[in-house]
Amino acid sequence: MLLEVRDLHVEFHTRDGVVKAVNGVSYGVEAGETLAVLGESGSGKSVTAQAVMGILDMPPGRITRGKVVFRGRDLLGLREDERRRVRGAEMAMIFQDALSSLNPVLTVGDQLGEMFTVHRGMSRRDARAKAVELMDRVRIPAAWERVRQYPHQFSGGMRQRIMIAMALALEPALIIADEPTTALDVTVQAQVMELLAELRREYRMGLVLITHDLGVVADVADRIAVMYAGRIVESAPVHDIYKAPAHPYTRGLLDSIPRLDHKGRELYAIKGLPPHLTHVPPGCAFHPRCPLARDVCRTQEPPLYEVSPTRGSACHFWTECLDG
Amino acid sequence: MSDQPYDPERAVAATPAGGTVDVSLDAAETLQQGPNGPDGPAEERERPRSLWSDAWRDLRRNPVFIVSALVIAFLVLISLWPSAIASGSPLACDLSKARQGSQAGHPFGFDGQGCDVYTRTVYGARTSVAVGVLATLGVAVLGSVLGALAGFFGGVWDAVLSRVTDVFFAIPVVLGGLVLLSVITSSTIWPVIGFIVLLGWPQIFRISRGAVITAKQNDYVQAARALGASNARLVLRHIAPNAVAPVIVVATIALGTYISLEATLSYLGVGLKPPSVSWGIDISAASPYIRNAPHALLWPSGALAVTVLAFIMLGDAVRDALDPKLR
Repeated sequence: MLLEVRDLHVEFHTRDGVVKAVNGVSYGVEAGETLAVLGESGSGKSVTAQAVMGILDMPPGRITRGKVVFRGRDLLGLREDERRRVRGAEMAMIFQDALSSLNPVLTVGDQLGEMFTVHRGMSRRDARAKAVELMDRVRIPAAWERVRQYPHQFSGGMRQRIMIAMALALEPALIIADEPTTALDVTVQAQVMELLAELRREYRMGLVLITHDLGVVADVADRIAVMYAGRIVESAPVHDIYKAPAHPYTRGLLDSIPRLDHKGRELYAIKGLPPHLTHVPPGCAFHPRCPLARDVCRTQEPPLYEVSPTRGSACHFWTECLDG
Repeated sequence: MSDQPYDPERAVAATPAGGTVDVSLDAAETLQQGPNGPDGPAEERERPRSLWSDAWRDLRRNPVFIVSALVIAFLVLISLWPSAIASGSPLACDLSKARQGSQAGHPFGFDGQGCDVYTRTVYGARTSVAVGVLATLGVAVLGSVLGALAGFFGGVWDAVLSRVTDVFFAIPVVLGGLVLLSVITSSTIWPVIGFIVLLGWPQIFRISRGAVITAKQNDYVQAARALGASNARLVLRHIAPNAVAPVIVVATIALGTYISLEATLSYLGVGLKPPSVSWGIDISAASPYIRNAPHALLWPSGALAVTVLAFIMLGDAVRDALDPKLR
């Protein structure tokens, strides 16, 4: 296992009380595998990623329990300077908005080259050459000219390619992409996802793809972990989930995708709102919105039941859900 | 986010309409890039632009900047080489000529001690500019370094440093000067500079702390951290360049007020002391004779007013140029 997150708990201490953003998340990624972490805003998917990367703001954030095992080491036990050497070189992150993720006052060449000067001690000249090479890799036309330009002179898709190039620079074993295509046009989205998938195959990297877009996931992911209120509610190979979801929340998500053969009908939406994380409902956090909810759901928190050796569902009535 | 130092809309609007669109491998994206893309001939594309190059272009066209910059350049020149325009010594005084008016070779007349007002006004510029520049440097360095520490690390650093600034803000400047400087007998400019730095740094501290907190929240700082940048690197390379503009603006404006503060302290007798030559000392010495020798008061006062005004105008112009929202 390349990366294993075990029973991770993250809290934020705010004026309104303790926000339990992540409540016992566990997932694993093998080398060369793509795990899609799916969930609404506030489901804890980005916070989990930040805790894995070690870029969580602490305070106000606090990791209260859990392990992040990466290549056999527990990252949470490392000193800050040791973790820093892991970041960028062994695991890297791609962010949602590439314009704001690039420093506006430095040229893209400087920012790409920085990866090599800082981590590899290369001269500026060599780093510049590497930057051009990387920009070529992510298929930015006329890289040797554009390397001297500033981020605002690039289009959204090109900027995201630069972010990808920066993440790839040191050929890390794991890339975490936090909604990498959300800020892009639909046509450009497909290109960027394709590029990411292709580079992942080429470098045999593990990829954690954080998204709320089921459409993006279907083509590129091997496994899906669905998150709700800071917990994983279903974890399964991608085809199993699309064939028959084993959690009512996953089912709700799938049903709310617009479909051509449902033309003219009202689009399904899961009723209610996701819970506020200062007041997570007792029992199963999804029960107030769940069509299958019974008394046991209000009192007993469901464990992650084993549906099959590769699949888990945190629903007391997963068999019912599976049968539709 | 007021200090986002780029303006994509403007960048596109300012691009010369030119450049043929080359439909190559990434057709959709290439089209999206428009005329700023890689498809125009190299010489048609505009040069890389930054906050500073944009600001400089704005400044060069701003008459307020030009006038204040010329005044300041002139002041700097005469403080470096006062003998170039004033042949005598500011300390060569002749009591028999006390309070006499303008005459050949002495355009500004004489003061109460019979010293040449013109020569003393010229030499006074050196003190004022030296005090202003050195105090501003000290304030800017101390304030921005501590402000960056407090803003970047937050927590205890921030709490302690912010409370310390509150204490300094509570000290009345003139009263503090009277108390602290009256015990110092040195006649150099250093005690005054030290005092101004001591009371001035909290202002820059607040500006710098706020700017660093704003810059720290930018995604690219988080992104750089996720790619393995160290704290020092984050502050120096990613935060400081995006937080330095407001510090420069406030420091420029403050420079003018420090010059007048030096004059105030000297006027009260706790700043510079004779034989130092300073506008504040001369204003102080001339004020009893305002009715029968007003020229001895007006020239140093006028020089002081023009100098302070020039620095404040320069600061205003720089602020306008660095604020993308005013474009």
